[in-house]
This record gives sequence, structure tokens and C-alpha cells, in this order.
Amino acid sequence: MSQKNIKNALTELFSLIIDIGIWIFLIGFAIFVLVPVVFMFTASLMPARDIMSIPYPWIPRTLHLQNFWQAIRGNDGRFLFSRSIINSLIVASLTTVGTVFLSALTGFGLAKYKFKGRNFVFLTILSTMMIPFEAIMIPLYLLVINIGWQDTYTGLIVPLIASAFGIFVMRQFFITFPDEFIDHARIDGANEFMIFWKIALPNSKPAVAALSVLTFRAQWDNLIWPLLIIQSPEKKTIPLYISQFASEKYTNEGALMAAAVIASIPMIVIFLSFTKYFITGAELFTGRK
Amino acid sequence: MEGRMKKKSLEKKISIWGIIFVLPSMVLFSVFSFYPIAYAFLVSLYKKELLSLESPKFVGLKNYIRLLQSESFWNSVIATLKFALGTFVPMVVFSLLLATFILGRKRFQKLFQMIYYSPAIMQSAVAALVWLIIFDPRSIANQFMNFILGTKGVDYKWLVNENMLVLSTIIVYFWKYVGYFTVLFLAGLASIPREINEAARIDGANRFQTFIHITLPLLKPTTTLVSITAMIQCLRTFSTQYLFVQAGASIKPIEVITLNIYNTAVRDRNIGRASAMSVLLFLVIMLLTIIQLKISRSEETYY
Repeated sequence: MSQKNIKNALTELFSLIIDIGIWIFLIGFAIFVLVPVVFMFTASLMPARDIMSIPYPWIPRTLHLQNFWQAIRGNDGRFLFSRSIINSLIVASLTTVGTVFLSALTGFGLAKYKFKGRNFVFLTILSTMMIPFEAIMIPLYLLVINIGWQDTYTGLIVPLIASAFGIFVMRQFFITFPDEFIDHARIDGANEFMIFWKIALPNSKPAVAALSVLTFRAQWDNLIWPLLIIQSPEKKTIPLYISQFASEKYTNEGALMAAAVIASIPMIVIFLSFTKYFITGAELFTGRK
Repeated sequence: MEGRMKKKSLEKKISIWGIIFVLPSMVLFSVFSFYPIAYAFLVSLYKKELLSLESPKFVGLKNYIRLLQSESFWNSVIATLKFALGTFVPMVVFSLLLATFILGRKRFQKLFQMIYYSPAIMQSAVAALVWLIIFDPRSIANQFMNFILGTKGVDYKWLVNENMLVLSTIIVYFWKYVGYFTVLFLAGLASIPREINEAARIDGANRFQTFIHITLPLLKPTTTLVSITAMIQCLRTFSTQYLFVQAGASIKPIEVITLNIYNTAVRDRNIGRASAMSVLLFLVIMLLTIIQLKISRSEETYY
């Protein structure tokens, strides 16, 4: 009898130790993930010599806001970083609008209209997912130069708005869209484009929101494409500007971190506002509870 | 009879709209996806230099042969493999562990997911920049290692030593994306009904046994899918390595294949050779994508 009790007690103790171990692991990993972020924010408020002092002063001694001014102003005083923020905002936004519109249009066409070759078209579109951007970036670069879109917003945006992933997502959504709405609108005399524009699209907010958020993030992050086709300093996007900033010899780590903070703000806002569109796993999971 | 004919012509009228809606994408894909990859295949058979006065010369497979004999190419292959394997294995292992642990806790699931995911929203260039400063000899990476190992003032040469440099790029990429894959695993784990685990526990299995013999096998399709996705992502890496080189790191240990393609085309102006490398990269990734599609097709696990 008491042997069994001891065994139970040991098993419970073992279970508890594992539980504590798991919590330590989870929290420890969370710290690992957050430390660089905290470092970025605190360093942006310190003069460079404080950042490099040993030990690192996790609580800034002063609020060295000159870092932000210097980041915005740039080492040459031309405010090119500010311009790059605007460029990134414009390019990412326009690319998002274009991608979502085109994906919705195409997805709607594939989902709600039966035409000859529909499957072939869908499979062809899916097949583009096998083509990594890095494998076609050089031919695309040459093509864009030939068209004359080098160093333009158009060249940055147009080649990127056809997205197989976006079409896939929107098609999935429209497949479940009730046909009755569409049929009623047809009876009322609306033409097909009106049906798309006034009925289907406005009622696809969840899919549109999720796709917008993911597309914006991808374009905001894009370094390789602007690197290839943008020459003018005023047209640089943020990642391009930062990569040049990092190569300048007279680095001021404080200004660099201030630039990093400024560059991160839009995505932080989007992430906090629309967290669930990034963390679809949580949605799925809490749905099962 | 007339009514049926009328219906058919109406259907046909409507279905034409389907073609109209789909046309813009098809045009764009043709111009900006299919044409470029075809062009890459074609140009890889030519000797073509950007801005050179001579017209491209057909050389057949010479670009490929030269490539396979070139030290720079094999250096890139090794650098890419080192990075890809060194990143994707820890990433998949840790994200699976994290997902399992998060699932087992009853609280803070969303918070942990948010925290682990957050580096993914940073721009790659910015993430690289922050870590570049962290890896500075005077900064917190060295301080942390010294603290843990009880040493004093040892410089682990994060950006200087060849192998440390590769490790540093791996750390940046791992840090940035492990949360993303954790979320993917959570979606996969959520599709395993709880009853199965409960049934196993009732039958006397402890948590460890349940994990090894029940959860893991059921998770195999998800794990394979996630692994291939991670591998493909790692093969495509560019920004981290480019930033590190821009900041002054030596290029040889981290000249991954994408960086090599970029340098060959833009710095060396050798379009034929760059196209050949692009084709090889495409073939490798296409192979992995096909495997991925095949597996997601057969992901019908029956409980």
C-alpha cells in the first residue's frame, strides 16, 4: 500500500519538475527573443559611447534624443532617411492595394465562373509558386530596364502584384461566398464587374484584411528588388537606405538604433492592431477550445 | 427548346466574364514570372555581359561547366548549405518544442505566440543592423557569453572568425523566424483531437510517451511540410548576408548563392553565368516545392 503511495508521490513530483522546467524554457526563450528588441529601443536613447560601455547600461542614463534627429537628418543633412520612410510607405501601400485587388479579381473569377480551361489556369497560377524570386531577379531586372521602369515606383510595384498566394487565398474565400447574393444582383440587372466591386469585394473583409497585412509586411521588408532597380538616393526604400547606412564608416550606433526604431514603428502598429491575422494558429486553436 | 438555348447563351455570356477577370493576372504572370524564368534558361546558354559592346554569344553548356569548376560557385554552395542546414534544423526542432509546450500550458498562449512571432515583423535589414551592433566586440553578445561561462573579456569574434560569422547569420535568421514556425506548428497541433491524447493517458501512458508515440507520428505531415518550407526559405536568404557584408564582414564564409548571383550580375556584369546559377537555384527549389505539394496532398491522416 505505502509503496504505491510513494510511487504516486514521486510521479507527481516528477511531473511538477517537468512543468517548472517547461515554464523556465518558455520564459527563457521569450527573454532571448525580446532582448534584441529592448536593446534596440534603449540604445536609441543613448549616446554611442554608452552603448559600447561594459556593462551595457540597460536603463539609459539620459534621453539622448539627438539620435533621432540625426537619423532623420542623415549624416549628410539631406533628410534622405525621412524620404525613404515615405518611399517605403507609398510603395508598400500601393503594392498591397494592387496585389489585393488583382488577387480578389482573379480569385473571384476562378471561384464563381465556370469557363473552359479554368482548372488549367488555376494550376498554371499555382505553378508560379515554384519560381523563387531570387531565381528570376536578374532577368526581371533586365526586363524592367528594357521597359524603361528602372528607378521608378512603377518598376518596384508592377512586377510584384501578381501573387499566386493571394489568388489562392481569395479563391478559397470566394468559393464559400453564397451564390444567392450574386444571383440576386444579376436578376436586379447588375453587370458582372459591379457584382464583384459592390457585392463580393466589400463582403470579403476578413480575407482582404489578412492578405493586406501579409502583403504589406512582405513589401515593407523587401530589400533585393529595390536594391536592383533603384539608383537615385531620393527613391530608396528603408531597407535599401539602411544597408547603405550600415556601410558608412563614421557609424554612430545611437543614430543607427534610432533609425531602426523609427523604421519598425509602422509594422509594430500593424502587428498590434491586427495580431490575429499574423497568428492564425491562435485563431484556429482558441476556436477549438 | 428555346428556353434552354436562351439559358445556355446566358451562361456562356456570364462565363466569359470569368475569363475577363482572370486575364490581367495571366498577362502579368506571363510577363513577370514565365518570361523571366524562360529567359534565364535561355541566357544561361549564352555568354552575355551587361553593357558590353559585343552581342551575346551562344556557348551551350559552357557556363554550367565553368560553374562546376569554379571555386567561387562551390564556395557559395557550401556557404548556402552550412547556413540552410544550420538554421533550419534548430528552427524546426525549437519551434516544434515551443509549440508543444505552449499548447500544454493553459494560460498565456496568445502572449507567448505574440512574443515569439514579433521579430518576424521587423525588416530583415533592421534585424541584421541590430544584431550587428550586438555582435560588436564591446557589446552584449560578448558580455553575455563571458557572464555565462564565467570568463572575463573574451572576444568571441562574432563577425571576424569565419565560422562565428556563419553562426552569427544563423542566429539572426533563427531569431527572426522561429516564432513564425512555432505558429505554423500550433496550427498543425491544433488539428490533433484532444481525445486521442486523453485516451492514451487513460491507458496509462505518461506525457513523454504520449508525445513520442502518439503526437509525433500524427504530426509527421505537418513536420515535413514545415521542414521543407523552412529549408526553402533558408535557401533563399539574401538580406542578412548582404547587410553583414555591407557592414564590413568578410564575404567568403557567407556568400550564399543568392548573393553570388547578385554579385555576378551586378558587380561582374556576367549575365550568362548569373543566369546559370539562377537556373540551378530554381531547379533545386522547384524540386523541394514539388515534394512539398506531394506531401500536402497526402496529408489525410485518419484518426
